[in-house]
Amino acid sequence: METYPRRYAPVATLAGRGTAGEFRKSLSGVAVGADRAIHALGDGEVRVFDANGGVARAWKAPDQAACLAVAADGRVFVGAPGRVEIYGVAGNRVGGFAIGKAGQPADVSAVKVFRDAILVADASARLVRRYDANGVERGLIGSQHKTGSFMLPNRSLDIDVDAAGTVYASDTGRHQVTTWKLDGTPVAAFGKFGMARPEDFVGCCNPVNLAVAPDGCVVTGEKVAARVKVFGPDRALLAVIGPEHFDPMCIHIHLAVDSSGRIVAGDPVRRTITIFGRS
Amino acid sequence: MSDTTTRRKFIDTTCRVVGFAALGGVGAVLTSRASAHGVYQVDPLKCTSCDLCRTTCVLSLSAVKAVNEFSKCGYCMLCPAYMDVTSAPNEKGVPSGKVCPQDALKRRVVGKEDPDDPNNNYYEYTVDEPACTGCGKCVKACKPPMGNGSLRLEIRYDRCVTCNECSILIACPEAAIVRVPAPGLSPLVTHGETANG
Repeated sequence: METYPRRYAPVATLAGRGTAGEFRKSLSGVAVGADRAIHALGDGEVRVFDANGGVARAWKAPDQAACLAVAADGRVFVGAPGRVEIYGVAGNRVGGFAIGKAGQPADVSAVKVFRDAILVADASARLVRRYDANGVERGLIGSQHKTGSFMLPNRSLDIDVDAAGTVYASDTGRHQVTTWKLDGTPVAAFGKFGMARPEDFVGCCNPVNLAVAPDGCVVTGEKVAARVKVFGPDRALLAVIGPEHFDPMCIHIHLAVDSSGRIVAGDPVRRTITIFGRS
Repeated sequence: MSDTTTRRKFIDTTCRVVGFAALGGVGAVLTSRASAHGVYQVDPLKCTSCDLCRTTCVLSLSAVKAVNEFSKCGYCMLCPAYMDVTSAPNEKGVPSGKVCPQDALKRRVVGKEDPDDPNNNYYEYTVDEPACTGCGKCVKACKPPMGNGSLRLEIRYDRCVTCNECSILIACPEAAIVRVPAPGLSPLVTHGETANG
C-alpha cells in the first residue's frame, strides 16, 4: 500500500439518504463560502448547509444548472447552458448574463469569481471566458494553445482561481492541470498521462475536476478509478483519497476546499457530499 | 373450329392468370412473413462485448462489426479503445500497444492540427470493416466511465445472411441479439466531424 506525506479521512457526510438535505435526483456542484458554509447544486435547487448538516436555506436554480460558485461577498453564481445567474446571500436573484452566441448557448461547466472578474468555463468552445461585473466579456483563457483551445474529449472543463488571481484549468485530454494569468497568459502546467505512477493521470481524459486550496495545494478529481489527489505547491503528490470513497461509475467528483483546508467532494452518482479532513 | 379455338384460348389464358395470381399471392405471403420476422441486430444496452459474435457467426468473418457513433465520440488523442493503456509507454509517453488485434480501428487528425506534436490533436476513429472481426475489444474498452461509449457492435446487413435461427442469438448469454423490423436498430451513424472535432 502506498504511503503519502498527508492522509485525509472523511469527517462528515452531507445530503445522505434520509437526511433533510438529501438529493433525490441529481448533484451537480459544490462550493464553499467565505464563512465555510457549503453550497450545493442539485435537484434543481441551490442548497446552503448549516454546520450541523441541515439545510439553512434553498432556492430554485435555473433549468439544467451545472455548476456554482460563491464569491467572497457571499453572492452565489450559478452556471447553466448559455447563462450565468447571480443570487444574493438569501437567494434573491441580483443579476445574470448570457454566455455564448444567440442560438448557440455555451456549455457552462464551471464558474468562478475573483474580485470583479467572473470566469466561466465554456466547454463547447473549450475555453475560459472572463467577464467583468457587468457581464461584458473581457478576455479568453486557453486560446493560446497551439490548437486554439483546451483539449476536452469528455466535454468537461473545470476551473478554479487562487487568492493571487492565478487561474487553474483541467486540460483533460492533455492530462494536465494548466495555470494562467487572468489576461490569458499561460503560466505553467503539471501532470501527464500514466497508468502506473499514482501522480500521473490515467485514461483518456483526466483530471476531470479540480480545486485550489488556500495553502496553494491543488486538489484533483479523476474518473476510472474515481479518486482525489492532493498536489503540493511544488506539485509533488501529497495525498490520495482512494476510490473506496466514491462510486466506481463516478465520472465527476465535484470539488471545493474550505478556508481550513478541508476538501469537500460531491459524488453525483451517490448524490452525497463528503468532507475530508487531514488525519 | 374457331369457337373451339377461342374456348381453349380462353381456358388457357384463365388458367395462366389464376396460376400467376396464386404464385404471386404465395410470394406475397412469404414476403410478408419474412418482413414480420425482420432482421437481427445487437442491443447495445445488453451487449457485453464477450467475443461470441466473432466466434459463433456462421460466416467465416462475422457479420458483426464495431461501429463508432461520432456524436458520442470524444475524439480522444489517448483513446482507450485504440491504445492499450496498460502497455508500455513509447518515447512520447503514450501507450505503445493497440487494443484491436487486427488493427481495424483507424484514426486521422481532425480540427486545428498541431504541426509539432501529434499527441496534441483530436482524432476521428473509424472502423475498417473488412478487417474487423467483431471481437468487441474496442467496444469494451470504450465503455463508460473509461470512455464515452461511442463504439458498439452492430450486425451489418450487407454481410448478414439472416439465418432462420441466428447462431449468435442462440449463443448470446445476455440475449443481446434481437429481431427488429427492417432496417432495424441500425443507428444513424453520421460521418464527419462533430462540434468536438
